[in-house]
Amino acid sequence: MDSLVLSNIRQRPTRTLISVAGVALGVILVILNTGLVRGMLNDRIRREQGVGAEIQFMRTGSKTLSPSSAMPLDVRYGDRLKQIPGVRMVSPIGHYVQSGNSGLGIEVVDGVEFDTYSTVSNLRIVEGRPFQSDDEVIIDDFKAKHGKLGVGSEIQVFGKKMKVAGIYSPQIGSRIKMSLGAMQRALDAENKCFSILVKVDDRDKQEEVVRRIEAELPGNQVVLTRDIGLSFGREIPGIQGFVRAVMGLSIVVSALVILLAMYTTITERTREIGILKSLGASKAYIVGVIEKEAIAISLIGVAAGLAVALIAAFGIERVTTLQLEFHLRGVLTAALIGLGAGAIGALYPAVRAANQDAVKALSYE
Amino acid sequence: MDAILKTEDLKMTYRVGKVDVNALRGVNLSVAPGEFVSIMGPSGCGKSTLLHILGALLKPSAGRVIIDGEELAAMSDASRTDLRRRKIGFVFQRFNLFPTLTAEGNLKLAEHIHGNGRSAVDENTRREILQLLRLENKMRHKPLELSGGEQQRVAIARAIINRPAIILADEPTGNLDTENSTIVLDMLRKLNRELNQTVVMITHNPEAAAIASRTIEMRDGMIVKER
Repeated sequence: MDSLVLSNIRQRPTRTLISVAGVALGVILVILNTGLVRGMLNDRIRREQGVGAEIQFMRTGSKTLSPSSAMPLDVRYGDRLKQIPGVRMVSPIGHYVQSGNSGLGIEVVDGVEFDTYSTVSNLRIVEGRPFQSDDEVIIDDFKAKHGKLGVGSEIQVFGKKMKVAGIYSPQIGSRIKMSLGAMQRALDAENKCFSILVKVDDRDKQEEVVRRIEAELPGNQVVLTRDIGLSFGREIPGIQGFVRAVMGLSIVVSALVILLAMYTTITERTREIGILKSLGASKAYIVGVIEKEAIAISLIGVAAGLAVALIAAFGIERVTTLQLEFHLRGVLTAALIGLGAGAIGALYPAVRAANQDAVKALSYE
Repeated sequence: MDAILKTEDLKMTYRVGKVDVNALRGVNLSVAPGEFVSIMGPSGCGKSTLLHILGALLKPSAGRVIIDGEELAAMSDASRTDLRRRKIGFVFQRFNLFPTLTAEGNLKLAEHIHGNGRSAVDENTRREILQLLRLENKMRHKPLELSGGEQQRVAIARAIINRPAIILADEPTGNLDTENSTIVLDMLRKLNRELNQTVVMITHNPEAAAIASRTIEMRDGMIVKER
């Protein structure tokens, strides 16, 4: 039976190629999407957790990992926060969300007060100087390297060209930072910010400070920076649903391609199915032949999909600042989706073939 | 000696649109083990239908069919498939080899199906059959690389490789020239004589029919003459 399966795969190269491409497409979709979601979230979590402040204070409903350009919080909360025992320093932050310069994904720009922010976060300028005017930004060393940018380069923010005044390190928060005042003016949000970073006197007592802030300023959201990412899936609304939808779509695409390919194949091979029946092949045997063929094609598709996804990931990371992370579980899931979709897609044609009338199949022209 | 193949008042009616077509109208046939029987008759006389029923590919409308001691009429589709696997070997007019497999692959597939996933054919049997059919040097060729006569010999080898109780041949020389027809008929006769293989062959060709030990003539779904 195996030689029949392999010879059929070799005999119909176009059909095999199309089927392999269909399965590979599903695998690529799953791997790149889950890899991108995981990579970007983890990258963002790492950078958010590196801001140096133990606590982030924001309006209820605001999400650290999915900031919007809205600035709902009054910066004067900072003065009240500073008065709470245990709070050493505060630094308000604004966010502006724009599409990525490469056209892929989104890019967040932080609006910061350089003095307070650099003190809280230990950010240091490694090249150039801090921003001094409304049309100047600083970028981190990662963006400088991947975007081939340097001091004096220009990047688009708010739809206009802004000059890179300096490059900073380490990679914390968003990769582009500008003056909070300039951001407020651009967004027409005077005295507003997205959140306030809170640095405490004693890290061991950060929970205590959180309780005090909640008591003093109820109705707001107080988040421990170390906990950002614990709610990985819930933090960005719909992200799990999106990943599941992509997986579902991949199964449907792969299964449909295999179904159509195998359906066409069994129609072409009606006579051969009749011969199998004349030889005494049972329905299970015929289903087995077709399923084996579909699974073999799916295996090639999975391998091709993995290879293409890895090459594409390498290219995406080189050309953009997007980060991808692959985990064994994700890769196995993609492989199982490819194989499962192939097996499911072939089931209907296989059962149809097995139920064909032997005499009619033998006389098929 | 008990018949290896027996039909009693065998009837087969097809429904074509709103019309019932009586393909077989009470066929009584008995074939002894090791016998070579040819069935002749004009197109539409019911001989192919009879062969399909004898090969357990079709279920009769009425009557009894006993193949090597097993009653066919009461069998389910799966049981008939199993009977076919164990006891029947087919040779078709159009050879019906798998074009993507070599001659050896075609034989092995038949062995695989017969052995429920394993080959139960010993090397001596295989060698004997290949020698008899003069196919030893053709095993690595695909059907399209073989002549019609060679293809039919491979089909015969495939039919007998599992040593079935009965070989059913449906116009085995219908697609062959005279020379190859003679070779194939010689092979069938050899198989019958040397391996005591029971053969039932349908043919239009009186010369082909003449090699059988008995010839049956059919007309309008009935046996009209035996000689």
